[in-house]
Amino acid sequence: MNKQVLTFNVNGVPCDAIVTPNMTLADLLRDELGLTGTKESCQVGECGACTVLVDRKPILSCATLAIAVRDKEILTIEGLAGTVGAGPTGLHPVQQAFVDNGAIQCGFCSPGMILMATALLDENPTPTREEVQEGLGGNLCRCTGYVKVVDAVLAAADAMGKEAGRWATS
Amino acid sequence: MSAAKLPPFEYYEPVTVAEATGLLATHGVDARVLAGGVDLLPRLRAGSLTAGHIVNIQRVGGLDYRRGTTSSGIEFGAMTSLHALELWEELRAGYPALYDAIHQISSVQTKCMGTAVGNLCVATPASDVAPALAAYDAGLLVSGPSGDRRLAMADFYPAYGCTALGAGEFVTGVEVPALSAGHGAAFMNLVRTHADIAKVTVTVAVTLRDGVCEQARIALGSVAPTMFRAREAEAILQGKELTDDLIREAAAAAAAEGNPIDDIRSTAQYRKATGEVLAGRALHKAFDRAQAAAAAGGDRGSAERGEAR
Repeated sequence: MNKQVLTFNVNGVPCDAIVTPNMTLADLLRDELGLTGTKESCQVGECGACTVLVDRKPILSCATLAIAVRDKEILTIEGLAGTVGAGPTGLHPVQQAFVDNGAIQCGFCSPGMILMATALLDENPTPTREEVQEGLGGNLCRCTGYVKVVDAVLAAADAMGKEAGRWATS
Repeated sequence: MSAAKLPPFEYYEPVTVAEATGLLATHGVDARVLAGGVDLLPRLRAGSLTAGHIVNIQRVGGLDYRRGTTSSGIEFGAMTSLHALELWEELRAGYPALYDAIHQISSVQTKCMGTAVGNLCVATPASDVAPALAAYDAGLLVSGPSGDRRLAMADFYPAYGCTALGAGEFVTGVEVPALSAGHGAAFMNLVRTHADIAKVTVTVAVTLRDGVCEQARIALGSVAPTMFRAREAEAILQGKELTDDLIREAAAAAAAEGNPIDDIRSTAQYRKATGEVLAGRALHKAFDRAQAAAAAGGDRGSAERGEAR
């Protein structure tokens, strides 16, 4: 099985890494690139903790081969802040809403939840509560903090809508 | 938490169908097709499946498409994601039972990565997509070293965990036929939680003409070693008016054609009993939809859309 040096586009930055075909994207991010914001929990594609965005689509990095996404745009939680008009804290509006709404308990599911929520709002900027619940159906939280998570995503949608309106009229 | 790595394998990225079938033929049973990876990679990691050669078809040209309408029939490719199908208005409005089977899959990530064809090729009897496609009488487009052929969805599983694919063959796409006037279909499944696989899954499609059932297809999953069409139950309905009594009789026949097992999700007895209930409910729902479509006459498209509640 061949080792190769490949260049990945992670958070807008070209990153070289030595990869073997059996390396998952989660392995690459955490072990080779040191981006440990991506969490790996169940390793069977059930929990959503390892969610990252590849070409803006939410995918499970534990069930994705790194080599297969070598020429795609990979976005992890480390690269999310600053991708949309940042507020005074510098956080992405979804991150800010998670903080403001107390939607983080132990935090292990949060990177995956936040990236999934970002993808959801990218596709549907004005979701209903039910649509948010459906959109996060693949993300498990063992602290059972779903109510505040859904509140946070709805608050983020609201904030991002207002921000978009502000830019549109100014 | 143990951080189990994937076992080593040889990896290929063919860019043509011919190249892919050549690789699959060369490496035989030790080769596996990688499409979305949502089933394959966790199973390789767990060791419940082994493969010395992984053939990634993500870069094969011409496998990611969706086209057609209810009047012409629809088609989609082996690399068309479940999410792309879910967002496709033609499928949602025209083939509501297939839409429901896809939409109820709870993980958006799984639907963004996973393909409908991959779901079928896993060959689990618990697939919700397989009975939905069988009820719509879908066909699978298969390519192999000696050419192309078409397999009926209903005949795709010769035995538990097996497909009818021969050496070097893989599924490149799916064709779902056009719908005739007076058509109605319904999907239903029984799950403990939405993230879990089905204990019972059923899709029914009926076509009415002059108040009589011209054709009925009933496909069930999770209640036998493979997904199957309940042909005896279908025969009970054919050419008859769909009364409550007849639907009850057909639902009982459909459940009787199953051969469920006891496992961690349910007992065989429970699956048989609920299979009958679900088949009956799906028949009623499909019948109501078909009646609404028939009442709307030739304007099938808008009729289906109008009643897609």
